[in-house]
Amino acid sequence: MIPKALIHHGRQLGTFLGLIFLCLILWILTPYFLTVSNLLNILEQSSINATIAVGMTFVIITAGIDLSVGSILAFSGVVLASTLQAGVPLPVALLAGMLTGTLCGLLNGALISIGRLPPFIVTLGMMSIARGAALVYTNGRPISGFEQSFRWIATGKIFYIPMPLIVMFIVYFIAHIVLTRTKFGQYAYAMGGNEEATYLSGVNVRFHKTMVYALCGLTSAFAAILLTARLNSAQPIAGIMYELDAIAATVIGGTSLMGGEGTLVGTLIGALIMGVLRNGLNILGVSSFLQQIIIGTVIIIAVLLDTIMKKQKR
Amino acid sequence: MKKILIFLGAIFILFMGCNRENDRTNDSEKIRIALVLKTLNSPFFIDLKSGAEQAAKQLNVELIVQAPEREIDVEKQMQIIENLIQTRVDAICVSPSGSKELIPAMAKANQANIPVLIVDTRIDENIANSEGVTTTTFIGSDNYQGGKIAGEYVAKLSQGEMNVVILEGIPGHETGDNRLRGFKESIEKFPNIHVVASQPANWERDQGYNVMQNLLQAHPDIDAVFACNDLMALGAMEAIIAGGKSEKIKIIGFDAVEEARNEITTGNLEASVAQHPAEMGRLAIENAVKVLNGEKIPTFIPVKIELITRQTSEENLR
Repeated sequence: MIPKALIHHGRQLGTFLGLIFLCLILWILTPYFLTVSNLLNILEQSSINATIAVGMTFVIITAGIDLSVGSILAFSGVVLASTLQAGVPLPVALLAGMLTGTLCGLLNGALISIGRLPPFIVTLGMMSIARGAALVYTNGRPISGFEQSFRWIATGKIFYIPMPLIVMFIVYFIAHIVLTRTKFGQYAYAMGGNEEATYLSGVNVRFHKTMVYALCGLTSAFAAILLTARLNSAQPIAGIMYELDAIAATVIGGTSLMGGEGTLVGTLIGALIMGVLRNGLNILGVSSFLQQIIIGTVIIIAVLLDTIMKKQKR
Repeated sequence: MKKILIFLGAIFILFMGCNRENDRTNDSEKIRIALVLKTLNSPFFIDLKSGAEQAAKQLNVELIVQAPEREIDVEKQMQIIENLIQTRVDAICVSPSGSKELIPAMAKANQANIPVLIVDTRIDENIANSEGVTTTTFIGSDNYQGGKIAGEYVAKLSQGEMNVVILEGIPGHETGDNRLRGFKESIEKFPNIHVVASQPANWERDQGYNVMQNLLQAHPDIDAVFACNDLMALGAMEAIIAGGKSEKIKIIGFDAVEEARNEITTGNLEASVAQHPAEMGRLAIENAVKVLNGEKIPTFIPVKIELITRQTSEENLR
């Protein structure tokens, strides 16, 4: 007999055990892996991908996809950077960055839900548009050098805990509540499970779907804030292919690309698996070419295990 | 209950990890030097790596070479540096993929008392100074200088009016920007040379081909092409040959990779700017060892940059 709770949390637990297993292997292989400073290092490095993956999880739960997150990150980043350098107060600049991301996401959402276009195509287009907008806006040059008050978002610490971690955990906490405790979250699952039925039961599918993509744009903008503060620079070419890392984290975390299921706790663990893997491979001095093979293999194995576990449950 | 158990388990492992820190011994007296490159999928950095590996072998140094998958991925490069700091390498040689963006990573190396040597691409001195980041030296040649040499060569080729097109790298990428700036500024002095088009082909061979094909349609009277790297130059070369204009149009590339050198001797390419990456790699390791031995090294170690033409490559053969 498998305890009820274990079945309920089975998927998250599986991913979590995977993470622990990975850590154990690395702990055996190298003395540099399991130290407090390295673990904080990994969490900090994972924070950007993990933050993008929050929005991605919502989108994938609705059976959609968002390929434009990396470009939206770049565009929000350069808008944020230019407003910062124009000397406006910090909160206003942050708001400008977030607004940029949200608007891009809103446009994605509107085209998908009202225009009835496939998410893959719309966000593919936006991937190019937002990237181009970032390049036009900056004339191709990075914008660098910000005040300490802004840099603090990446470099600061509260009780020894690096700020990016705190930001990441706050984003996850709020998003988790939204996904599990609000109607908006319930509708996201419902739309992904059966859009037709959701519509017929009186849910404003168009509105909620649009909002899901807007939310994804917003979390990309959050990631832009973290990245810009971390590098002390906003590049119009930042975030290329970040969408793939975010999708990988989400899928490793047990969210189904078919929609209707998935959790943010899983996604966070997925992002950490990616982070731990990259860190471990660097520390072990594995050749960069082999690293790509290993990362690809882990993604496939993770999803394979997940599929097997799911079948057993039924 | 289960969540609490998992949490406690995680904490437990964390503490075991902390203990583990103590049994970390210097199992080898060998010096460990890290070389962090922009990427490992271009011939330039592969040459740089092999130069460094040879030097490391001679000096009996343990060398760790790491690079992000994509050349433009500054954040991944920063992660690699952070991770290597965790393994307490003795020195870090880095070819920064962003002249400003990598400065926070170097600040972390400074904090850990790990000397940083800059290879191939300069960092922004102003920002480094204002952040209090110190690097021991810069080993390399200037991309701006390389662009200038190419521009001067084009000026020398010109007889009367001359129409030039430029193939740029990925927009916003510093290496390309510097090459471009050097080239443009050196031909600006010549009123008979006109840049009729300057378009990005994103460092890639196939895009060099396509963009060149389009430009040939738009401007039938092109005399010379400057491509910010050889891959684009080789792509453009194919397009020009296909368009039957190889007699008229002179192509100048950058990097002098092996294939480009061959095409220069056959005359399909006119010239290419050569840096000496293997030399950079060798100097990086040698100087890192010097720094670790407490020797003083100059803050700038120049590596020669030159234009390879049919003439110079024939001279080399003799």
